[in-house]
Amino acid sequence: MERDLDNANPTILSVSQLPSRTRKGAATRNGPDSKCHDIVYPQHHWPYGCSSSSDEGEDYREEPMDEQDIYDLISTISDPEHPHTLGQLSVVRLPDIHLSPSPTELSGPDSLVTVLVELTPTINHCSLATVIGLAVRCRLEQTLPPNYRVDVRMKVGSHAQDDQVNKQLGDKERVAAALENDTLQRMVDKMLETCA
Amino acid sequence: MDTAPPPAAIVPANSPPPNPQTVTITRLPPFQPDLYTRAWSSVPHPTLPLLATAHAKSVTVFSLATFTKHSALTGGHARSVRTAAWQPPRSNNSNNSKRLGLVTGSFDATAGMWSYDGDSSGSGDGDGNEVVLEREVKMDRDDEQDSDGEEEEKDWEFNLVLEGHENEVKSLAFSPGGAYLATSSRDKTVWIWEDVSAGPEDEDEWETVAVLSEHDGDVKAVAWCPSHLPNAAGKRGNYSSDVLASASYDNTVRIWREDADGEWVCVAVLEGHEGTVWGVQWEGRERKNGKFPRLMTFSADGTIKVWSLREEEEEQDGDGAQQEGNPFRSGFGGIPSTMRRSIREDWDCTAVLPKVHSRDVYSVSWSADTGLVASTGSDGVVAVYAEDESAPADAPMPSPGAEGAAKDGIVAPKSNWRVLGTVSNAHGPYEINHITWCKRFDPGAELKGKEEMLVTTGDDGVVRPWQVRIS
Repeated sequence: MERDLDNANPTILSVSQLPSRTRKGAATRNGPDSKCHDIVYPQHHWPYGCSSSSDEGEDYREEPMDEQDIYDLISTISDPEHPHTLGQLSVVRLPDIHLSPSPTELSGPDSLVTVLVELTPTINHCSLATVIGLAVRCRLEQTLPPNYRVDVRMKVGSHAQDDQVNKQLGDKERVAAALENDTLQRMVDKMLETCA
Repeated sequence: MDTAPPPAAIVPANSPPPNPQTVTITRLPPFQPDLYTRAWSSVPHPTLPLLATAHAKSVTVFSLATFTKHSALTGGHARSVRTAAWQPPRSNNSNNSKRLGLVTGSFDATAGMWSYDGDSSGSGDGDGNEVVLEREVKMDRDDEQDSDGEEEEKDWEFNLVLEGHENEVKSLAFSPGGAYLATSSRDKTVWIWEDVSAGPEDEDEWETVAVLSEHDGDVKAVAWCPSHLPNAAGKRGNYSSDVLASASYDNTVRIWREDADGEWVCVAVLEGHEGTVWGVQWEGRERKNGKFPRLMTFSADGTIKVWSLREEEEEQDGDGAQQEGNPFRSGFGGIPSTMRRSIREDWDCTAVLPKVHSRDVYSVSWSADTGLVASTGSDGVVAVYAEDESAPADAPMPSPGAEGAAKDGIVAPKSNWRVLGTVSNAHGPYEINHITWCKRFDPGAELKGKEEMLVTTGDDGVVRPWQVRIS
């Protein structure tokens, strides 16, 4: 890992500038915190239960996940070289999170939902792009229900080695092996420490 | 379950099955116990009622007679076991069949060779083994109730570690005769190891005979061409009959053969996939036209392709004969190996299976008995396909290779493959990492030891058998 910062002076947003549900006034019904609890601690989905039970399905019909929920899960991940979160550094941006189909349109609890997260590294040759992507994929796979398929990519034009990084991040076997690498696992764990 | 496309006009002459139109895929109770963690693959023993499932840092062996745990291989690897392969019985001695051998490939960059020291066979032929093992399975079950775990470790012995790869071992396969073992890794290489053990009862000893490093990315899978078929051996001039295929993260598949000097060389590069090629499957059933076995490849691009070796009517009259007095046939004379013409095979993409999967195809199994193909992957769908064998199968796809057809997502009208049936969410919401055809030995089988079922292995840690009825 390089000790020199790739980008010594990134643009940093304050927490109050970050997109959130409460400031949009949309969700006073539960508040983002308690809502995230279900997502962050999905005991009935993980670890691997015996296939699906019908009450899981009920949950999603009552309260389907949206892009803001995904943003809340990953924007609080720490940057590996700056003392800020990926949200503050605009590596993760709400408009670059896409759910398809929308969880409101699911026919059943096992129907697949694809989460596409496009990351914007702080500068276009950020050597830590792969690690950031790994942390994002890891965070989402640990917290989302198992019918979510996570695709993490570098936003088009944002990174010098887009294809190479995207391919690695999309490779399940490589991701699994990377998480058994102590050095990488420690980095990812550290980045995820700041998540609620 | 989906319905099949309109019936084909001509009934294939071969059997079974006679002109399959649809399949009914019924879920059977899963193997017990659940593994509760991602399981990567489940490999049936070629003759015995055993199934080896790789998961976490170990392998669990299940009985196909009872769908319960038979034994476990633990403690040999520092990281996840990705794959396993059963060792073919050594052919140089007929007293060796007592020995049950398994090789494991791990993310810790090693392969481990294990043997089972339980008295697993009496007579040595397949039928005798089955009976004895069935009995043994029941005994093991009784043991487990007293001291779970300790009994198992006594059964499997870790004999030998094969070191050399720099990164995760992703796949391994024995050559049909058992003389060679191929291993592949993220380090972009395939290693070929040769069995140099003194005798069947002696300790395992394996030697590296080749390191193949032409791939530009992880080598995801290796597979040997089956050699029991009359058309698989010979016909290749100065090459041995052992043929290896490797699939890679670099989107290609390569074909390797050993030349007259014992050098392993790449004879073909199969290009056409637009994503990681997750694996390859050789055709295990003899072809009616006597041609060389075909190869099926499956990829992160969501497609499954079939490739055929271009065989000249008379190879002696082919390209090679025009230059230097046919280097294919002349026995190479005294030309140093570095100066020899590289000999290449031409492989054409001759079919693309109808597209079913919306995401990576992680696994395909091509039945050597029925010729049926089953596939699965990230989308959790299981699909079964059949080929209409009446149509010519070796004509190259339109446009160079299959790229044209694959790019447009259009299956060429001449594709002879039909989807017979699909199951969605076969492991609920989870991804499925592996599928294999597997002989049935359970009491529910109509033809024990002959009837085939499917076994799927998923991220949910479930290993599930499926009854497949063809109609």
